[in-house]
Amino acid sequence: VTDRPPLTPTTRDALAELLLALADDEFIVGFWDSEWTGIAPMLEEDVATSSIAQDEIGHAKALYELLADLTDDDADRIAYARDADAFRHASLLNHGRRDWAFSSARRYLYETADAVRLATLAQSSHAPLAQLATKMRREETYHLLHARAWLRRLAEAPSAAPRLREALVELWPDAADVFAPLAAEDELIRARVLVEPMVALFAVWQRRIRSELEPLTGVLPASAPRADGRTRRTDDFRWLHGEFTSVVRADAGATW
Amino acid sequence: MSDVRVDHVWEVFRQEDEGDPMVHAGNVNAPDEELATHYAREFYGRRGESHRLWIVARDAITELDDPDLLKPPFDRSHKKPGGYIIKHKLEAAKQRALTERGEAGE
Repeated sequence: VTDRPPLTPTTRDALAELLLALADDEFIVGFWDSEWTGIAPMLEEDVATSSIAQDEIGHAKALYELLADLTDDDADRIAYARDADAFRHASLLNHGRRDWAFSSARRYLYETADAVRLATLAQSSHAPLAQLATKMRREETYHLLHARAWLRRLAEAPSAAPRLREALVELWPDAADVFAPLAAEDELIRARVLVEPMVALFAVWQRRIRSELEPLTGVLPASAPRADGRTRRTDDFRWLHGEFTSVVRADAGATW
Repeated sequence: MSDVRVDHVWEVFRQEDEGDPMVHAGNVNAPDEELATHYAREFYGRRGESHRLWIVARDAITELDDPDLLKPPFDRSHKKPGGYIIKHKLEAAKQRALTERGEAGE
């Protein structure tokens, strides 16, 4: 029983596009960070990083399930049975994990952007999404503290600081793509599924982190979310896609 | 990353529920208090098993394990409360109390 009118097909399609973008971001960042399991700088950090990566994949699962409910699909199919080109994560997540400084820089950029995005989603008119975003924010608060702790540590370490700086500068333009415009964004705004356009969220995010990053990196160039920010794919990602689909492809259609 | 120090040990105590005693859970290595807090949370709280954690730098703990102070060589039985036969005295006192209450009630 609900007092909300059912979603129109237009709103449903727009919502599906948004959910896929959110879910793919969480899924792919989770897979990249899970690559540190066993090789993080120390045992405690190994457990922490692996656990955070699992959290992200857990968030992806919940988002894929919302999407599957909406489109009468299957969460596992969406996650594991799509071609690499059908993924809609932001270009920030196209890069391999590389070294610890690079992964830490990416985590910081992603977590800060995700925090801005989740704050808005928690006010979504689509109640299941608002509830999920509220729940995710509680875990993401810790992820953000962890990412910020490493940013500071690496910035203070003479051997790590240059690598961190290089990584931040390289990833900076791609980080904007977390806020890449969605094709059906006007509809999402009209239906209040999104209460603010992506470009406004992008401005909030940049204002917030420039003051934290620029003492480290120097003045960062202007950047902006790109129209193809969620459709660019790289060889790094194609490799990862091959990895995370390898077990499913080994015996297609198997019941696990 | 040779300049990231990992040689600090933090002892972690956990409380399962409000009001329960804080019990030593184990320890974590971490270069500073901030990461120690994250790691303590991962090791002793990520499954929702803890209501509260105390994270204490091992350096901040004063340890006493001197056997001369804790396990003195002489007989200490006179410092323990045992050895007094008071069972019959207790029973007599109970009886007396009952009788007195009975008389007061009449």
